[in-house]
Amino acid sequence: MNEDFLTEEVIKRRALISRVKIHSFQTLFAVLLIGSWQLLTDRKILDPFFYGKPSGVWTQLVTWVEHGTAIGSLWVNAWVTLYEATYGFLSGVFLGIIFGIFLGRNKTAADIFAPYIKVSNSIPRVVLGSIFTIWLGLGSISKVALAFVLVFFPVFFNAFQGTREADAKLIANARLLGATNGQVTRRVVIPSALSWITASMHVSFGFALIGAIVGEFLGAQRGLGLLIATAQGTFNPNGVYAAMLIIAIMALTAEWLITQLENRLLNWRPSQVSGLEL
Amino acid sequence: MANGTRVSFTNVSKRFRTPKGGWYQALSELNLDIEPGQFVALVGPTGCGKSTALTLLAGLEQPSIGNVEVNRKIVTDIDTSTGFVFQHDSTFPWMNVYNNIAAGPKFRKLLEFDSLVKSWIAKVGLTGFESNFPHQLSGGMKKRVALAQCLINEPSLLLLDEPFSALDVQTRAIMTDELMTLWETNRSTVVFVTHDLEEAIALADRVIVLTAGPARVKADFLIDLPRPRKARDIRFDKHFLEIYQGIWKVLRDEVDIAYQRQLLAPAKGNAK
Repeated sequence: MNEDFLTEEVIKRRALISRVKIHSFQTLFAVLLIGSWQLLTDRKILDPFFYGKPSGVWTQLVTWVEHGTAIGSLWVNAWVTLYEATYGFLSGVFLGIIFGIFLGRNKTAADIFAPYIKVSNSIPRVVLGSIFTIWLGLGSISKVALAFVLVFFPVFFNAFQGTREADAKLIANARLLGATNGQVTRRVVIPSALSWITASMHVSFGFALIGAIVGEFLGAQRGLGLLIATAQGTFNPNGVYAAMLIIAIMALTAEWLITQLENRLLNWRPSQVSGLEL
Repeated sequence: MANGTRVSFTNVSKRFRTPKGGWYQALSELNLDIEPGQFVALVGPTGCGKSTALTLLAGLEQPSIGNVEVNRKIVTDIDTSTGFVFQHDSTFPWMNVYNNIAAGPKFRKLLEFDSLVKSWIAKVGLTGFESNFPHQLSGGMKKRVALAQCLINEPSLLLLDEPFSALDVQTRAIMTDELMTLWETNRSTVVFVTHDLEEAIALADRVIVLTAGPARVKADFLIDLPRPRKARDIRFDKHFLEIYQGIWKVLRDEVDIAYQRQLLAPAKGNAK
């Protein structure tokens, strides 16, 4: 039997080959999908009036970039949506973590607030958008508020659960080593709840975008949600797709940033637990 | 140097609620006095309540009846002059080796701890691993981190709950010797829980055999083997074997009782 050890070079080459393979299949899939869409609409098998077409989406984007949209510059509208989502996200994450940890550490407070939290969580939150529009007007604040409530609850529940699940043995150990209650919270509870919290952050930037866009649907002067609503009103499917594409780019960028943050905060975890790269 | 505290159990019983709503009696009328600076091993069959005795001493739990005293004061809460090395890994996974060992001094807001921490890292043979996280260490290394993390605070009472049970035989022998060396430099009171009789005799001044749960003191043996001892070699000593046989005779009955109960437990469930 002659079993050679794999050299570093061979391992690297194999990894490269499998990466190239995966990427080429991914590209092929995209080409097939977009290509068949283009083909079907070109041949009028699908009516481009209703379904739009890839080349139309591209033309729409170029027009928006070069000449602006019906409701003003594309950049201004994209920026408005982005900052509404970002403000909602940051405030929701911040307060969600604070409340989650506070109630997770304080059983009496958790028992007192439990029914209120359950009730407010059971309200379909998108409905609150209407109330916020009435209260706060057509400006950005009502959209930030809607994004905030959408983000707050998942982050809150995860922070709460993560705090509750902190290993009792580690807490006992920290106390025996001389930690005060505050030190236990900061040095033991928060680090162990952090993987729960970052998990909720991944989903909640998406929620923040939903909040901003739904808010803009309900009534706004600017933003990608309004742009989509306008395109819908003028039977312009390409406009809807083009705005969707911009939103998707925002969401993916935010997701990438959150993953970077997560990797920095959770650098102590064994690497295989860090999750699939999706 | 910290020279140990006196420990006493007076008529201590402890029972827990079981998930099914019944009671589980872990300790029953336990009476025990431990002199300052004594190294005591508690041995007994699995599940007899040895660990419960430690959690009471540490103040993590309160006795249902009776008093646990450390330094002639009744234990009502965690006391930071007590050190506890847990059975399972209790290092903080988000702190590297340095920060894990420095945890005590940092919690206690000591100002100058860097050289102290470094000397402990060296003492437990982890120099060069300061910035490794626990998941990057072997089981034996993690245990050494846990020992250093505890001993750096110079506890006057050291509680060890089967600290080496998760280790392989060789690592275990090495760790036992290391613990011995470290203890001989400061002579704190040690209560060591184990179900390994050999380990107990090799380390302790006194071996206490507990009954199958609920635990009471069944027998109390003084171990007159000379110190300093080398745990790895002492087990071949003739006198060691005599002591071992003497204690094993007493312990065996309790182990049998515990084993019989384990066999009967599922049978009871079936009969229902």
